Amino acid sequence: MSAATVTSPARPNSSVGAPPPRRRPRGTSRLTAGRVALYALLVVLLAVFVLPLLFALSGSFKPRADIFGEPLRLIPSSVTLENYTNLLSSQPFWSWFGMSVGVATVATVVSVFVCALAGFGFAKYRFRGKQALFTVMFSSLAVPFAVILVPLFVLLVKTGLGTPWFALVVPWVAPAFGIFMMQQYIVQSVPDEILEAARIDGCSEFRTFLSVVLPLLRPSLGALAVWSFLQSYNSFLWPLVIVSDVNHYTLPLGLNILFSSENRAIDLVLPGAVLASVPMIIVFLLLRKQLLEGLSAGAVKG
Amino acid sequence: MSSLASAAPTAVIRGRTAPPGAAARRTLPSAATQRAPYLFIAPFYLLYVLFMIVPIVAALFLSLTSWVGLGTPDFVGLRNYGNLLGDSSFWTAAGNSGLYVLVAVVLVVPCSLLIAQALNARGLRARDLFRVTYFVPMVVSPIVVALIFSMLLDTEYGLVNSFLHAAFGLPGVDWLTDPSWARASVSFVLLWRWVGYLTIFFLAGLQAVPRELYEAAELDGAGPVRSFTTVTLPAIKPVTAFVVVTSFISAAQLFDEPYLLTGGGPGESTLSLAMFVYRAAFERQQFGYAAAAGVLLFVLVFAVSQLLNRALQIGRAA
Repeated sequence: MSAATVTSPARPNSSVGAPPPRRRPRGTSRLTAGRVALYALLVVLLAVFVLPLLFALSGSFKPRADIFGEPLRLIPSSVTLENYTNLLSSQPFWSWFGMSVGVATVATVVSVFVCALAGFGFAKYRFRGKQALFTVMFSSLAVPFAVILVPLFVLLVKTGLGTPWFALVVPWVAPAFGIFMMQQYIVQSVPDEILEAARIDGCSEFRTFLSVVLPLLRPSLGALAVWSFLQSYNSFLWPLVIVSDVNHYTLPLGLNILFSSENRAIDLVLPGAVLASVPMIIVFLLLRKQLLEGLSAGAVKG
Repeated sequence: MSSLASAAPTAVIRGRTAPPGAAARRTLPSAATQRAPYLFIAPFYLLYVLFMIVPIVAALFLSLTSWVGLGTPDFVGLRNYGNLLGDSSFWTAAGNSGLYVLVAVVLVVPCSLLIAQALNARGLRARDLFRVTYFVPMVVSPIVVALIFSMLLDTEYGLVNSFLHAAFGLPGVDWLTDPSWARASVSFVLLWRWVGYLTIFFLAGLQAVPRELYEAAELDGAGPVRSFTTVTLPAIKPVTAFVVVTSFISAAQLFDEPYLLTGGGPGESTLSLAMFVYRAAFERQQFGYAAAAGVLLFVLVFAVSQLLNRALQIGRAA
């Protein structure tokens, strides 16, 4: 990458992420002092964000007595897998996990499709009422969930649709944020010429969307997919309200039961927390570039 | 190298694919083309009406009734609203939610801007490592975050008090059981969980500011502070607007963190408005009362965010 920046030093943005062009030989020592402070600050922040997670990880391998007895030890003095085996043998952990992953997967697939459709409609067509419809869509971001919590619960239960698979998925598959994100990305990265060409070839509009537009959206579809998976996988309040059957508990509900039990079963909750978080963190690390850039790309342009 | 990925995402996207003159959009006359956009956005609006408009209307109706969840709701007019205004718990919850909003907008947002500014330093190494790691708390489930912090902040066995005692001989602080400390703890967890997330938006915004603007400011003799206020802040206004509005909305309806960390306690000292709604409906079977509290929260959040949108000019169709 340094080769690329060396050959194009004049491009304003390309040098942002690159090593500094060395053209200030004077004052380097002052800069270095500033640099040391900067790195020190960033490393301290790193510790603030990572240490709590590492302590939870280490705690999950400590014998129950040590979790409370030696909270300051990051490396456990004795390592045990007992917490994990206790959790997995005494609690339906994999059932919670399966429920969470299943619900999140279905919700993600559907919502990515719905958002891409609507994003495309807003990005590439002119139509009557577009501005008003867009404003309506966008302003739904400002509706606090607390206002629909009670009536949505009542309506779904009364109509018999309060089953976990319906209630945890269907009301959440059209997030306005996702549509906004898609719309921004499509405006920037799908050229009109390609759509023209597809039309001239006789493709229907929907066919064009499926076979021409969707493939071009792959990076931001990935970002949106990670985002909506996380939303669903981590959601707590709505499952807490709507899921009454213990057999359909999601991970957060299961952990909450353990966590709020009389003896604060911390030795069971910790391994559960680790097992719940590690897959998400791995997926996030694998898809981090897509997610972080996809998330911010829309907001930058406003 | 890793820092390549962090170079101005939008610029990369635009540079790669948008052909010159693509901005001029064409309208095609055929009937199918005219119908198409409506069909594309129809699924969203169908879901929107069913799961947002209908519930909001139902909330307005429920809020005018007294209902325990069984039988028919009794129409009581505006009595729920009157009772809410005289309910000290409601005002406590409103005050706490106000505090969470304040923390989000006045503390979390500026902190993430500062962190983004630090991460945007020229030639910074390991930028991607920092950026990604700071984001991780957002990936972790709130229940896991709450459990970790309730362990760390435990008065007797917690890491924080153990450390304070070992290092400075300080007596234990009741992080989660003293009213003021409990509010501070919830606020800290909010900061911890959100700041890396918001940093991403600011960093992308900062990276999109053309370098020439800074060079011009430097030539005009502007120092770092001055070029921050005259170049950076105006240039990142759209991102700032987006970040302020979304964190306002999320903080105003905060539920998970106080519910899981303190259960709203001690007493009601960390109770939020969303928790008030939840408690009224699902612990006390006062569905009408809960709906009325929800409607008030909705009116407040919606009005303020529309004002913010208008003032900061976001949310226009491209």
